[in-house]
Amino acid sequence: MDSDRLQRELEAIVGARRVSMRPIDLDTYARDMWPRLLLAHREGEPPAHRPFAVVWPEHVREVVAIVKKARELRIPIVPYGGGSGVCGGAVPLHGGITIDTKRMQALRWVRGDELICDVEAGLSGERFERELARRGYTFGHFPSSIYCSTVGGWLATRAAGQLSTKYGKVEDRVAGLTVVTGRGEIIETDGPNRALRGPSWTQLLVGSEGTLGVITSARLRVSPAPQLKVFRGFEVDDVTTGAHAIRRVLQRGLRPAVIRLYDELDTLINSLGSGGSSADTVHVEDTRAPVPPIDTGALPAWPEAAPEAAGVVERLMNLARGKGLRQGALHAALGRSHLVNKLAGTVAEKIARRGCRLVVGLEGARIRTEVEAALTFGELEAAGARDKGEDPGWAWLAHRYAVSYRMSPVFRDGAFVDTMEVAASWERLMDLYDAVRAAIGRHAVVMAHFSHAYADGCSIYFTFAGTAPDARAAERVYDAIWRDGLEATTRVGGTISHHHGVGALKAPYMAGEHREAMAIFEAAKASLDPDGILNPGKMGLRVRIDRSQP
Amino acid sequence: MTAHPAGALERELAIAVGAEHVEPTGDAGWRVAPGSAAEVAEVIRRAGSHGAAVHPVGTGSRAMKIANTGRPRVYIATRRLDQVLQLDEMSLLVHVQAGLTGLELERILAPRNLSIGDYPPVVLTSSLGGIISVRTPGKSSARHGFFEEAVVGVSAVLADGRTVHTRVAPRRATGPDLARALCGSEGTIGFVTSAVLRIHHKPESRLVASYQLPSVDAAVSAVYLALREEAAPSGLRIYDADEAARHFDAQSLPPGAALLCAATAGPTDLATCDRDLITSAVIAEGGRRGDDALAEVWWRRLHAGEPTPGPAPSLQVMATPGRLRPVYHAVRNAAAAAGATCRAHISRFDADGAVAFFTFTGGDHVAAAAERAAETAGGWLVGARAVKLDAYLRALRDVLDPRGIMNPGSFA
Repeated sequence: MDSDRLQRELEAIVGARRVSMRPIDLDTYARDMWPRLLLAHREGEPPAHRPFAVVWPEHVREVVAIVKKARELRIPIVPYGGGSGVCGGAVPLHGGITIDTKRMQALRWVRGDELICDVEAGLSGERFERELARRGYTFGHFPSSIYCSTVGGWLATRAAGQLSTKYGKVEDRVAGLTVVTGRGEIIETDGPNRALRGPSWTQLLVGSEGTLGVITSARLRVSPAPQLKVFRGFEVDDVTTGAHAIRRVLQRGLRPAVIRLYDELDTLINSLGSGGSSADTVHVEDTRAPVPPIDTGALPAWPEAAPEAAGVVERLMNLARGKGLRQGALHAALGRSHLVNKLAGTVAEKIARRGCRLVVGLEGARIRTEVEAALTFGELEAAGARDKGEDPGWAWLAHRYAVSYRMSPVFRDGAFVDTMEVAASWERLMDLYDAVRAAIGRHAVVMAHFSHAYADGCSIYFTFAGTAPDARAAERVYDAIWRDGLEATTRVGGTISHHHGVGALKAPYMAGEHREAMAIFEAAKASLDPDGILNPGKMGLRVRIDRSQP
Repeated sequence: MTAHPAGALERELAIAVGAEHVEPTGDAGWRVAPGSAAEVAEVIRRAGSHGAAVHPVGTGSRAMKIANTGRPRVYIATRRLDQVLQLDEMSLLVHVQAGLTGLELERILAPRNLSIGDYPPVVLTSSLGGIISVRTPGKSSARHGFFEEAVVGVSAVLADGRTVHTRVAPRRATGPDLARALCGSEGTIGFVTSAVLRIHHKPESRLVASYQLPSVDAAVSAVYLALREEAAPSGLRIYDADEAARHFDAQSLPPGAALLCAATAGPTDLATCDRDLITSAVIAEGGRRGDDALAEVWWRRLHAGEPTPGPAPSLQVMATPGRLRPVYHAVRNAAAAAGATCRAHISRFDADGAVAFFTFTGGDHVAAAAERAAETAGGWLVGARAVKLDAYLRALRDVLDPRGIMNPGSFA
């Protein structure tokens, strides 16, 4: 089987215009937004894994034909949505055919009386929401990647949007899936859960990251567009108090759309990064903790005991403000991560008396949202949170997609930054926070916020930034961070991913996550993909195919 | 499979769980009652080595139709697995063994001001293992959703005797939900020994109200109007006039009218808000507030064990919000055409829709006509199957259970 024949076979299915074997396309589809690959890419290295071909099917029948052909030729299939994944889930580790779903992008129907829509997998998140909004609905899924991720990608990874506390993660919103299995058959999983006997195929396929099937369309639950939005900022003394406040809200049966708590360093960096001058004005008025005026320009004086630490943090904050840094200054800051991490818990808090920022927002039907907002704010204050007015809340909303885009200057300047989103029950949450912070803190600057809260637990979103003399060394540090962070997570009983997925990055840790239960995943794999052609090498599943050449 | 003498298997079962917990059954099998998950694993391992089939038995509330596969049978009763293994009041999670019934768990939680939630008590009379393992339409709550959504983790024994514990986390993005593979699998993928469930604080307030509406259609519209406004009631039931007359002797609704009973719960402000939203919706649909005493009776029958006038409904049909009205009319018309009288109530609302319960006179031909009409109108009959997916389920079972010992005959 040579490349030419593969090209002819694929062209026979989708036509010449929707198949490419051009090097530039193969390079483009060699990676997603996994930061580890960006390290090598920055050094100008060629991609380690490239697909043999990229195809753009427009109909589920074409996907079936492609999968059947791949099965016949024993070539891997890798589904590709927006390419915004940060775990390498779309990287063709064993080559094969990359199926880009973005030409399947119709919002086929919206049934208002059922509050369900039928949407194709390749539709971009932003266009999906706009199409729904025009009709008076929302899916309620707003990840910071909304401009560059697809509905199919969300479903494949069990993604979460920023308003998931009200609307749920994507798996909570699926009424049915259309999937092309590894046998090259179309299956539909629709039907009321309660009436259909047998295990939930929908919940087995959501989050399978292309290893059990190619999701081509889905019936998703929509909500009426919100009539009212209420946002508010609060401040708490420390993360423990903040987490307790969030738990009280959720366990009282209240469902704000978003409730986020930033730890001390994240509070500091974020308030400056989003130009949060209004929030800082409020700080000045806090008579219980008089501090020098803080605005986006002037930092408080640092105590003499920690002049070096002060400089490091100042550089980081300059970065957060979007001012950019000379490369040397950035490395100097990140190279002394232990100082910054220590600072976060002690010095910064004492000096700035900032405490931790908590942002809460509610949206939905007018009357109920008003009632729920009053109850939510009351509950937060009863738990010791101080009301900082509406401005910090609206400031968060205005800048909510910005965070991801702030990462690229860091890479440009020779450092790296990534995020680790883990989750646990409330009982284990502070153990998780301490354990992961300690594990990552050995290697890099780390900060965290608590978002995506539930009555039974919460997710913690760690952001870490580090540096190394060259790409190889950076990869070593990067790998060590993930190894230590995820092992710490498993040790305290958390889950190693709340919403980014597994991909190639967390595949080695799946055995620790699921232990013997992996047998069920493997059995599902053997059933749905008997030849092992679907996205091999991912999610810790056994690899049964190995092709480096077409 | 090697034909072992039956006595050998019986002796091994006695070694696994103790002779006093093994009793022969009428159909050349044994009923064993393991006292721990480890004993369940031992029983399954030994049964498997003899090629015996393993069938789970909970409280026995569901009549089991087990096809004769010609092999020895081991019925594993979960009644001794009746412990709460861990109660995490901070996270509102409880780890319970499969043999405890929902009502027993509720009694354990109640003194701590906790509750399993607003599920119909009739569902909670089953063992939790049974509730989790078998899907039926009743297992839902307007406030908490489908029962499976309360299952955070499952421990189960596979056909080869391995015990699996799915990872417990509020939500995950680490592949398929493996707990949901075990839920509803009727013991074919694994034998559920325990589960971690979400529980709730007892609601601060609970309000009930009743409403009279000009028609069943208007009542269904009012319910969805209120749900659109995000009311989250803990219970809803629509009675047509004939059903209301049967259930509430004193009540006589005009022909064609409907009675709606609603319960709301939660923080007092929210429970009141939800009740007011329902009231507004009812008025918008041409109805009015009725006699709340009826709603009190409805709630007591549901939750305090007061008897409901019989007989049990003849037909349950699950329908999505848009299909409820067509299904209701189609079944009533079909029954009338077959010369039968028919009455109905609609309840068990959740995001998927609701369940219509029909009671009609007449024999099998009426039931057959009614079922056909319900399906034609877009309803789902209880126990429907996604037939196209059967081959996949079979293949999945073959991998985990090559000898086919796990509740064979289920889904056949």
